[in-house]
Amino acid sequence: MSESIFYFLQQIANGLTIGSTYALIAIGYTMVYGIIGMINFAHGEVYMISTYVAFIALAGLSMMGIDNPFLLIAMALAVSILVASAYGFSIERVAYKPLRSSKRLIALISAIGMSIFLQNYIRLAQGSRDIAMPSMIQGGFLFGDPDGSHIMISYMQVIIMVTTVLCMIGLTLFISRSRMGRACRACAQDIGMTNLLGINSNNVIAVTFVIGAALAAVAGMLLGLYYGVVNPYIGFIAGLKAFTAAVLGGIGSIPGAMLGGLILGISESLTAGYLSAEYKDVVAFSLLVLILLFMPQGILGKPEVEKI
Amino acid sequence: MKSMVKKTLIGMGVSAALMGASVAQAEIKIALAGPVSGPVAQYGDMQFIGAEMAIEQINKKGGVNGEKLVGVKYDDACDPKQAVAVANKIVNDGIKFVVGHLCSSSTQPASDIYEDEGIVMVTAASTNPDITLQGYQLIFRTIGLDSLQGPVAGRFIAENVKPKRMAVIHDKQQYGEGIATAVKSTVEDAGVDVVMFEGITAGDKDFSALVAKLKRNNVDFVYYGGYHPELGLILRQSAELGLDVKFMGPEGVGNKDISAIAGQASEGLMVTLPPSFELDPKNKGLVKAFEKKGQDPSGPFVMPAYAAVQVMADSMKATGSTDAEEVAEHMHKASFNTPIGDVKFDEKGDLTSFNFVVYNWHADGTKSPAK
Repeated sequence: MSESIFYFLQQIANGLTIGSTYALIAIGYTMVYGIIGMINFAHGEVYMISTYVAFIALAGLSMMGIDNPFLLIAMALAVSILVASAYGFSIERVAYKPLRSSKRLIALISAIGMSIFLQNYIRLAQGSRDIAMPSMIQGGFLFGDPDGSHIMISYMQVIIMVTTVLCMIGLTLFISRSRMGRACRACAQDIGMTNLLGINSNNVIAVTFVIGAALAAVAGMLLGLYYGVVNPYIGFIAGLKAFTAAVLGGIGSIPGAMLGGLILGISESLTAGYLSAEYKDVVAFSLLVLILLFMPQGILGKPEVEKI
Repeated sequence: MKSMVKKTLIGMGVSAALMGASVAQAEIKIALAGPVSGPVAQYGDMQFIGAEMAIEQINKKGGVNGEKLVGVKYDDACDPKQAVAVANKIVNDGIKFVVGHLCSSSTQPASDIYEDEGIVMVTAASTNPDITLQGYQLIFRTIGLDSLQGPVAGRFIAENVKPKRMAVIHDKQQYGEGIATAVKSTVEDAGVDVVMFEGITAGDKDFSALVAKLKRNNVDFVYYGGYHPELGLILRQSAELGLDVKFMGPEGVGNKDISAIAGQASEGLMVTLPPSFELDPKNKGLVKAFEKKGQDPSGPFVMPAYAAVQVMADSMKATGSTDAEEVAEHMHKASFNTPIGDVKFDEKGDLTSFNFVVYNWHADGTKSPAK
């Protein structure tokens, strides 16, 4: 295989890694939109908070004498999911539920306010500097000639991709097989009718927020371990990218969010690899504009009659 | 009639307030402008502790012309928009002397305001050459320029490192790109092959694509113009993805946080920094004073900030005045003996001489002179 193919595959692997995490965060946007038709702009902040929680939990647990890295990560992940879910649940109760019967724009403004509040609250509580953590999992797989052309995929990249795939399979099974999943799909189709049929749509909506937050927590944990730094501003750009991914794949569609995340990640990494790293975000957001102009329903989304 | 009474009362109130202000002027306020918050706040700390120490010591010796100096902190978060707001606030607060700002991109817009409003500004940290190119009379700095730092780094690379395929990366900001451009032209003049010159986005976290590109171009040395949060991640991801080359950066990457972010990967990083003034024997007493307060005098901007306060205070004493223009005129003419050595300003407000030194950075956050 020639050197340029190795390089291409390396960039694809890098893109899949970052794309996986976009997909995890994008699920939170798309599920909420699918059911109540609003964009939860505070979702990026849940991701940011979960990274902080993961860091604090990792530091706390390792101080308590747990030194097996996998046990440590698993326990910190559990803590992070729990706290993030609590945030997701409370955000819905505080900022959206009282506004559910009002116009969509009002809920949207409430979401933006919530996002600003959370970001500044963390900035005050944790300081605005980068908090860093040493890498816990080092090394990786090397394919090809170590001295010549090769692909290097770090263990952390593999963990990110595998975890994302597992989460996606779990979510798909939950939505398609479980009672609650069926209720979710019913709410997405017609929330009024679902209520008439005796399903408590409030619970369904709460579950949707909790699932989105839990997946964001998984992304927060993984990216926290991968990059090793967190600051109160990471949620904004990550949220924007994930939102782009959700729109790209078709907002409201879960497979669409996964696909959109991967496409976005790969196109970013190919731009940085073949053009220049400075055009990465330009390409990402141009993609959003183009999709909105020419394919507003997204790749896997259903064309929708505007309800406003 | 009623409204007349009201107006007179308001007028009296205003003049009383103004009188109050003039009575309270038994002290000379110096604004300390820089990032108290934000990702580069630790550099702000260096500037603040240096300036505050100078104020404290000058006051201990009886102040300036019988009046005490008072430092007032302003937070610009290293954000150009906020820097302009801070500058306007300083104008409104009636302060005539400023130590700051820190980031070149903040200092630039703020300095326009100070010059227009007759305020003396001395930056102890902004190194972009453009800042003093506007023909201003009231703007000074007690630190060297990128145009000096770049050539020092460039010459060191060309003479000592001798890379075959070098890359220059920058963060597209005034400071980072300015210094990266200076390094690039210096090494190219010396015959070094720069195979990559590329910008990244400040605040980005994923550099795996960039690292893969560096590997593909068989780069054997990387110069990075920018700050530590991004370089720390580039170093860390380079180590994880098996890119084993030496990196070098300007003083914006040289602080302990880069070791926290990059860990072992920060070992062997080369950094150009102002000389370690704290090792100068004549600063022994000053270093002790810092240590007594539990502060670290080794940051690159601590002593320059001290010197910034001192040159202003000395000029106020020499002219017996707190008039901004008189003080600035004296600063342009005189020479000052400060912890960063003998300070003399040229007509632009820059130091007539300032040396940058190349250091090797270590994973434990310490540094040693590079050979």
